[in-house]
Amino acid sequence: MSADLTKIQPRSQPVNIGSEVASFSPAVEAEIDSHLAKYPVMRSAILPLMFIVQSERGYLDPPGVAYLAKRLSLRITDIWEVATFYSMLYTEPVGRHHIQICKTLSCKIMGEPGITEHVCKRLGIKPGETTSDGKFTVSLVECLGSCGTAPMFQIGFDYYEDLTTEKVDQILNSLA
Amino acid sequence: MLSNDTSVRTSFMSAEPITVTINSREFEVPKGARLIDVCRDKGFDIPSFCYYADLALQASCRMCLVRIDKVPKLQTSCTIICTDGMVVTTQSEEIEKAQRSMLEFLLANHPLDCPVCDRGGECELQEMTFDWGNLEERFTEQKNYQPERFLSPMVANDPQRCILCKRCTRVCDEWMGEDAIEAGGRGAHTVIGTYGGWLDCSQCGNCIEVCPTGTLLDGTYRHQARPWELAQTISTCTYCSDGCQSSIGSRAGEVMRVVARDRYVNGLNGEFLCIKGRFGHPFVNHEKRLRTPLIRYRKGGKLIPATWDEAIRHVAKRLDAIDAEHGSNSIGIVGSPRITNEANFVLRKFATELVGTQNYTATEAFSLRPFFENLGGQLATHKDIRYASTIVLIGGEPEELQPLTGKQIRQAVRNGGAKLIVINAVPIRLLEQAAQFLHIAPGSEDAAVLALAGSDDDGVARKLGVERSALQTLRETLSDAQGDVIFMFGGELTAEAQIVLAQLPQTMAADGRRVLLHPLPLYNNSIGVHDMGMMSGAMNTGQMLDACGQDIRAIYIAGSFQPNDLHLHPDALSKLDFLVVQELFETSTTAFADVVFPAASFAEVDGTFTNNDGLVQRVRQSIPPVNQSKSDWMITAQLAAELGVDFGFQLSASAVFSAIATEVPAYSGLRYPLLKDESNPIQAKHAIAGRRD
Amino acid sequence: MFIGAIGCEPLQLRRVLLENSRTLDVYRKNGGYEALRKVLTTMSPDDVIAEVKKSALRGRGGAGFPTGMKWSFVPKDSPKPKYVVCNADESEPGTFKDRYLMERDPHLLIEGMLIAAYALGAKTNYIYTRGEYRYLIDIMDEALAEARAGGFLGEKILGTDFSSEVYTHTGAGAYICGEETALLSSLEGMRGHPRMKPPFPAVSGLYACPTVVNNVETLTAVPDIITMGGEAYQKLGTEKSGGTKLWSVSGHVKRPGVYELPMGYDDMEKFIMDDCQGIRDGKKLKAVIPGGSSVYIMRADDIIGKDVRMDYEGIVAAGSMVGSGGFIVMDETVDVFESTKNLTEFYKHESCGWCTPCREGTDWLVKVFKRVANGGGRPEDAQLLLDLCDNIEGKSFCPLGDAAAWPIQSAIKRFPEDFRKHLVEGPL
Ligand SMILES: Cc1cc2nc3c(=O)[nH]c(=O)nc-3n(C[C@H](O)[C@H](O)[C@H](O)COP(=O)(O)O)c2cc1C
Ligand code: SF4
Ligand code: FES
Repeated sequence: MSADLTKIQPRSQPVNIGSEVASFSPAVEAEIDSHLAKYPVMRSAILPLMFIVQSERGYLDPPGVAYLAKRLSLRITDIWEVATFYSMLYTEPVGRHHIQICKTLSCKIMGEPGITEHVCKRLGIKPGETTSDGKFTVSLVECLGSCGTAPMFQIGFDYYEDLTTEKVDQILNSLA
Repeated sequence: MLSNDTSVRTSFMSAEPITVTINSREFEVPKGARLIDVCRDKGFDIPSFCYYADLALQASCRMCLVRIDKVPKLQTSCTIICTDGMVVTTQSEEIEKAQRSMLEFLLANHPLDCPVCDRGGECELQEMTFDWGNLEERFTEQKNYQPERFLSPMVANDPQRCILCKRCTRVCDEWMGEDAIEAGGRGAHTVIGTYGGWLDCSQCGNCIEVCPTGTLLDGTYRHQARPWELAQTISTCTYCSDGCQSSIGSRAGEVMRVVARDRYVNGLNGEFLCIKGRFGHPFVNHEKRLRTPLIRYRKGGKLIPATWDEAIRHVAKRLDAIDAEHGSNSIGIVGSPRITNEANFVLRKFATELVGTQNYTATEAFSLRPFFENLGGQLATHKDIRYASTIVLIGGEPEELQPLTGKQIRQAVRNGGAKLIVINAVPIRLLEQAAQFLHIAPGSEDAAVLALAGSDDDGVARKLGVERSALQTLRETLSDAQGDVIFMFGGELTAEAQIVLAQLPQTMAADGRRVLLHPLPLYNNSIGVHDMGMMSGAMNTGQMLDACGQDIRAIYIAGSFQPNDLHLHPDALSKLDFLVVQELFETSTTAFADVVFPAASFAEVDGTFTNNDGLVQRVRQSIPPVNQSKSDWMITAQLAAELGVDFGFQLSASAVFSAIATEVPAYSGLRYPLLKDESNPIQAKHAIAGRRD
Repeated sequence: MFIGAIGCEPLQLRRVLLENSRTLDVYRKNGGYEALRKVLTTMSPDDVIAEVKKSALRGRGGAGFPTGMKWSFVPKDSPKPKYVVCNADESEPGTFKDRYLMERDPHLLIEGMLIAAYALGAKTNYIYTRGEYRYLIDIMDEALAEARAGGFLGEKILGTDFSSEVYTHTGAGAYICGEETALLSSLEGMRGHPRMKPPFPAVSGLYACPTVVNNVETLTAVPDIITMGGEAYQKLGTEKSGGTKLWSVSGHVKRPGVYELPMGYDDMEKFIMDDCQGIRDGKKLKAVIPGGSSVYIMRADDIIGKDVRMDYEGIVAAGSMVGSGGFIVMDETVDVFESTKNLTEFYKHESCGWCTPCREGTDWLVKVFKRVANGGGRPEDAQLLLDLCDNIEGKSFCPLGDAAAWPIQSAIKRFPEDFRKHLVEGPL
């Protein structure tokens, strides 16, 4: 058995998942520091930091994961177990505009199916797919807390509520 | 399952008993006892998957549900600590339905491929399903599919079979401190794995061992055999001085696997093994094993296969001649810390009683003779380590060299709140657990021991290259310590330091404080080879090699010289008139041999090893000797017979052991039958030397 | 969408409709941070807890646990640091009240948290907001900065020697992280798995230190309790549950929104038909889920003419629960089999996967629902669903298992016809 199989990775450094480790601008590093400063325990900052890495790199790619492990002195596996638990963290690439349509009860009975059909028709993809140009991804997600203004979807972090097919067209046009 | 580790129970318990009623029978149980353990102890079966003694509680499988009076919901008995007057029901319709349904849930997405699963026949899920019987298949939907994969050459993984008891992730973290395997995903999509599906760790394989299903499997044994085809032989590992108990699975004279599953063996190591002990067995049936005795009729000639009779006769003749010409001290006898007590014992008899030479030793670089001659207290067992209050580790790297000790230390700190003090020239990984680390200058381990013994701080501190205050802290920790204080030391210590350290119990023990010692030698029988007197000769291997060609004319060695010994004495062996080697393989020593005897490996012999706890543990023959090999002691006995002395062992290892029991005081009274139960190992009674000044 | 109070003066919603309601300035002009000043200058921590106890305030997160009592569980003598954590994970389907409180009156939450922090001696406090509410986190951060600058937060608050910090923290998409122990795991940077209770957070919570977890609405009620006094606040509601409650109304009503009602408001029918202006386009009321997706579904005829009082006891008597106040109204066009399938899919998606019954049970339930929906229904499926629910309920590690079972149990019991349709005339 090859030597590298038997060696133990010290907790303090990430295992080698491709040598590249992401690096960020001083501004981003400063933001990361501001989050780390909030907690007595570094690991607590894992979610905020993951969002930052994600917005910088599109998703939690290997260099980004390596960076997180290093920055938080955790093992790669620790990053993996957390990243895969939360539905807003992506370990695969997604479209630049991630359209997340709420499919839970209130939206469902207030017209979500029509909205979904319309969005998918316009973009020519099914829920869970990304347009070939990588611009849009459509997902059906669970309740986003806009039941009073249903139907709704979220693009990135922006809420679009009381949706009608006309409104959807305007929104998509503004992004196109 | 697994509840038979009573140590966990006893650990937290105070003496005062309380009363609990289980299924309307009253029992006295110690305060602080865990309900699931108590129930099983009293013979009430409680199913469980996630509960595993001395691992973090999980309470996730929900199999262990019981009813406790005045509590609205069913409770998981694995999380309940008994309280006085508690009234418990473990058997009722309600409970059976609950437990059945949990099993039904676990089976819902579990593939029905037991016939092709390596765990089939020793799978806890399969057994529980059989026990419950008639589980009608209500789940008629599509099962969630996940592909099989290899996490490493050692670890095969079929995620679909996983019941998420998380024993694997917990042993990886809590036993090994590696945290290499984790749960990813969420809900029904939760899967045990690693980032990128590659397991980057020490490959100990403990995750495989504790897996109750066929989810994590031995990649080297995959689809090789079915458990019921294997003969399971309980034996002692041959790789380090911890002496883990394992079960050798063999079929048709071949060792197929080595495991520590508690259904087969319950030793000091529980289900723990390291990479060497678990995966290091293929050498046994290796095609390069020596096939016959070999004779080199003239120097520089080739080793030529011979019969046993020829070889024995040849050796006897030559030894006689050399004895006659140069005297018996010209014959060197070399034992080995790798072979059994029986082998070393017979070899020593051969040296002292038959040949009558003073020049005998063993290929053990680290002689514990000074330590044992001044032994001031008891040796710590691995159980003592787990429940110690304070552990001082001087030199050594247990995690690499004595992995079980490493695991016990980690759990002592993690679960027992023990204080670990690491004194080392290099930052070993156990630092993660250490309360204090003295990063001392290389080679100053001796000085560290003196510091412990309380000699002048300033000089010592300077020598060690640490702050004086650090030594002060260390001293305080020790003087405040209650419970068991254990001193461990690696092979760095000189004779003088060994003596001082061996005496610490005499000076440090106090009311409420036991002081125990734990040497960390390298080999599976380092202690035994000393006990058998093999280390009491006039020279060590280095000196013997120096003397080759002058005082030493012939050497009879079991095993081979350490490569670096030979490196330091390049042409020593070529200066010998005669060299006899007992070996498994051709080595840099057999290269000089005039006669080579094919020896049997640990898997092929009966005998005993003595581990670093001083525990005398059985080695059992699991397969017949490979090729024409014979066990070391038999070869020596035959040679003796040829030289006209019958040791009278009638070819039985137990006879040799009785002889040991009569001649070696520390082993007096021991017999194989007394050593039968690996779960209650017996400690050799090494003489305790009184205080020396 | 309507926001406002019915049947009482707006209390928690007092400011939300004002111009720039989220600025410190407007907040101050409307009595903001006076309660905090009162507490810091005239009250002892025990006084505060006593006042909250008097108010009969019950947790608005769903469990309805008396807040004063929860606070009193925190060991005073513990040498460890103590934490107040605001549960702003608001993910219970049908619930969106916390969102508007934070969006429009962030300082109210800050003041509430600081009063709690003073009562419990917490120097550090966190607001755990669901990741999807990123814009609320930005709003809170702005408000926190304002408060800090204004001397209401941080060192020596209002010149007293009480110092306490409040930080925002983001979730990342996991309903289970609303469960207080899972929230704490998540806040520690772990997977959002619930933890064993006991020990309860009040004793061993965040970083194993004494911790109080309270919902946004709970904490934002505190300043008014201090200002008007516990008794007065309690009197707004009933004896057992004081004050007012926010109801997030969604579904087929003409006027959905966030309604502030006095606890014990009479009655649910009036609320739906008058206050929410009845059912859209002349349709008939069919069903109501009054307390967020996790509670029993109610039939129209359990409400119409039944005079259902809107407080904990009243709604329990009517066969459901207040829960989080996520009030989902469904008209006759809704197929309760479909709506139940929808919620079951939610619970499957959100099950954390820790324990067997919830992980495997919700997965199995969804598979049955899907098969039935695709025309593969069998008469015995109703019994199967009920039995699976029975095997999950009360056996899971945390209450999410129960929450997944209750909607199904109540739906099959109360809307058998909708299931029979799909199960081709099976026994129900
Ligand atoms: C599955 C589950 C989800 C929950 N989600 C929330 C939530 O989104 N927001 C919330 O405030 N409480 C939620 N809770 C209740 C919390 O566990 C906790 O009781 C509450 O935050 C305590 O605050 P309170 O006493 O102010 O209500 C949830 C509970 C469970 C079991
Ligand atoms: S019930 Fe079990 S699986 Fe479900 S959310 Fe709670 S702990 Fe996780
Ligand atoms: S053994 Fe108790 S829940 Fe698994």
